[in-house]
Amino acid sequence: MTERPWVKQYPEDVAAEITDFGYKNLPDMLKAASTEYAKQKAFTQVMPNGMNGTLTFKQIDQHSDSFAKYLREELGLSAGDRVAVQMPNCLAYPIVAFGIFKAGLVLVNTNPLYTASEMIHQFRDSGAKALVVVDMFADRLPEVLGKTNIETVVTVKISEFFPRVVAGVIRLVQRFWNRSLPPITVEHTPFQKALSAGASSSADVEGYQKNVDLDTVAALQYTGGTTGVSKGAMLTHGNLVANTVQMVTMLGKNVRPGLETILTALPLYHIFAFTVNLLAFYHFGGRNILVPSPRPPSNLRRAFENYKVTWLSGVNTLFNALLNERWFQDSPPKHLVGSAAGGMSLHDSVAINWEKLTKSPIVEGYGLTETSPVLSFNPMGGKSKLGSIGIPVPSTEIRCVDENGKEVPVGQPGELAAKGPQIMKGYWQRDDETANSIKDGWFHTGDIAEMDEEGYFKIVDRKKDMILVSGFNVYPNEVEELIASMPGVTEVGVIGFPDEKSGEKVHAFVVSSLREPSKDEIIAYCREHLAGYKVPAKITIVDELPKSPIGKILRRELRDGAIASESKGA
Amino acid sequence: MHNLMILAEETANAATVVNEFEETLLRILVVIIMFGLGAGLTPKDFRLALRRPWGLVIGWFTQFIIMPLTVYLLIVSVLLPFSVGEGILFVALGALIMGSVPAGTTSNLFTYFSKGNLALSVTMTVNSTLWAFIMTPFALFIYSNLLGLDESLAVPFSELAIVILGLMVPVGLGMLLRKYSANVGAVIELIGSVVGLLFIPFLIIIWVPRNWQLLLTTEWPTYVVAIGMGLAGITVAYLLTRLIRLHPMNARTIALETGINNGPLAIAVIIAVYIDNPGLDQILLVPALYSLFIVLISAAVTLVFRRANLAAEQKIPSLL
Repeated sequence: MTERPWVKQYPEDVAAEITDFGYKNLPDMLKAASTEYAKQKAFTQVMPNGMNGTLTFKQIDQHSDSFAKYLREELGLSAGDRVAVQMPNCLAYPIVAFGIFKAGLVLVNTNPLYTASEMIHQFRDSGAKALVVVDMFADRLPEVLGKTNIETVVTVKISEFFPRVVAGVIRLVQRFWNRSLPPITVEHTPFQKALSAGASSSADVEGYQKNVDLDTVAALQYTGGTTGVSKGAMLTHGNLVANTVQMVTMLGKNVRPGLETILTALPLYHIFAFTVNLLAFYHFGGRNILVPSPRPPSNLRRAFENYKVTWLSGVNTLFNALLNERWFQDSPPKHLVGSAAGGMSLHDSVAINWEKLTKSPIVEGYGLTETSPVLSFNPMGGKSKLGSIGIPVPSTEIRCVDENGKEVPVGQPGELAAKGPQIMKGYWQRDDETANSIKDGWFHTGDIAEMDEEGYFKIVDRKKDMILVSGFNVYPNEVEELIASMPGVTEVGVIGFPDEKSGEKVHAFVVSSLREPSKDEIIAYCREHLAGYKVPAKITIVDELPKSPIGKILRRELRDGAIASESKGA
Repeated sequence: MHNLMILAEETANAATVVNEFEETLLRILVVIIMFGLGAGLTPKDFRLALRRPWGLVIGWFTQFIIMPLTVYLLIVSVLLPFSVGEGILFVALGALIMGSVPAGTTSNLFTYFSKGNLALSVTMTVNSTLWAFIMTPFALFIYSNLLGLDESLAVPFSELAIVILGLMVPVGLGMLLRKYSANVGAVIELIGSVVGLLFIPFLIIIWVPRNWQLLLTTEWPTYVVAIGMGLAGITVAYLLTRLIRLHPMNARTIALETGINNGPLAIAVIIAVYIDNPGLDQILLVPALYSLFIVLISAAVTLVFRRANLAAEQKIPSLL
């Protein structure tokens, strides 16, 4: 075993190892919370205008039992079958996800904004037999279904479980004002009908879980959309339970069981919110405030005004956007205990401004879909380092390795490799890809990182995003962070661009609210703070940057776009 | 505003009978709208508006200094030199009164639609209505003297109290309901805004057929004053507030608050004070026309505000 300098950094209330947590599988862990916090509010969905609906732990438990029975008894699915789920944050989501786990089936989270071809790829690859989809996006189904194995479609309304009159008003607005309810031409079962069918069955739900242990696959979480072909990471019950326990252990006394309220603005179909908000907060009796869409950020206003939010999870983009909202500046949330940042690197300037405004800590963590996702974060009760992704969560080992898999010395950059109970089983039906990324039990992340003497890690950049200018390494993060710290700059994306002379050159795409600073000012500022080869050779002012579902800037798309427009111009 | 068209009609065409049904309906609509606007607010919004009193101070200045001055300049530069009608000084007096009264609930509605600072708007309306007790007579005294009219007028405090109560009671109730249930609040807010949208065409539909004769017989300098005062008030206040770098949201609010004055209040005051005056019809002329056109102007301005300013403010990074 390698040396683990970070163990000394765990605060007193954090154990270095998670001991046997005693849960047989995910439903077992969920059941414990459903029983202990039965009468408390588990989920509240808040629309941009403040309309809302709420379900308690007990209601979630009962409805998800019904849904599990529907899947097994009505649809006749058998253990291990895949069920695709495609919806924004709403009250039906936890019922569907938990129901799938309880039925011993496999959850396939799908981005609701996917195009037909992306849907076809994911449904075919996973072999999903049923699809639970929000009705607003069901118009793509006719061209999709025929090319997949999907036999059943269950449709969910965004206003599911809202008070009747309110739900009616939302339907009216959707139908006549937003016109967001396309006619559904394929055969489908409304969600409530599915639930009542399941509820009327007398089957024993726990029977479905008899052969479900920690090694059983619970979810296929698709990833790699940013690198190329999308592939399904097989996350087991053990991965997700372990990661939940690891995170809760690491948070220690900073979370008060049964008393926390987390604002869930990130989509639950993404692994970050799925584990951190949905599983972990449910586990210790927290209340999730679900926001269907955080875009524009003013959609979060009523949620912040009407509920005592104590936790917020987000990505740099979200925190930055909130800091730029006037209503948020005027009355920052008063009850916030802490914020968790992940998904992409948190800029120092954003972290500092966030803590100044909300008077509560923001801790940056790190993880990937393949790692369920949390690998590390800054201990809240201990030392938190700005710009660092913190220390490994309990029972997790992280090291930085060179091309040959040898650990590099402290302070040297190397590829981040990790080992722990949260590492996926492998990629679904892609043994070659699995073998490429998991070697001797170490998962290789493709991220370049450095460890300091105290065991804190810092992400330098994505391996594949590194820019090679005349043989020198330029990490886009460094350049992005510098430009983002200039007043007037709201966002920035930096890429490498092919160049005959230097191999690659640095190209920055800048979003600035007031067309200030100018390109020349940005370059002058970079010259002042960066080595010559890191200074952007080209700056493009744009209105918007392409982003992934959780708001990560998609450098690959920027690069493809830049290359395409260059060849067009030539 | 609703009083106004009916009263204007009563005086302009003495034969027509007041339609009480329409008047009651309009009153109810206004209450529903204010109720809905209130349901979108929290006490925190008002605390914030009061914590930064600059908006209020500037609003007071544009309301009672800029707006009456604008009207006076319109009178001396357009109305007096070009009008050929009789009783032109009575028309001027009506214009001055219209320009010196504070804002009413219409400004709150348009602020809501143009995504301005609603709490500031409501606070400004209350503030300026209270100040009207002193400032409306004061402005009128100054400018009527300059015009050689030597008029003095006392605004009955009861009229102002009615305006303030009619504003604060539904807004307060709306806020209470939202606190009690966010769902009920959101539904009421939605209903309020739908009613607010219908309110504008409704007003025009019942105003125009009744008063078309008035529209035909009025000469152009009067139109310039009646239309120009609202438009100029909004424009000048907006430019001024942007010049001193107020947030666009507050600038929109103050602009609408300045340019949109309380038509019904002006009418009520005129009736109370000049009921026996032979020039009553002429005094009521500008307030009557203003009340129709301010709705059209405000609707147009709201569209412009939404387009121009929202585009600029939405440059906030888009996520997800």
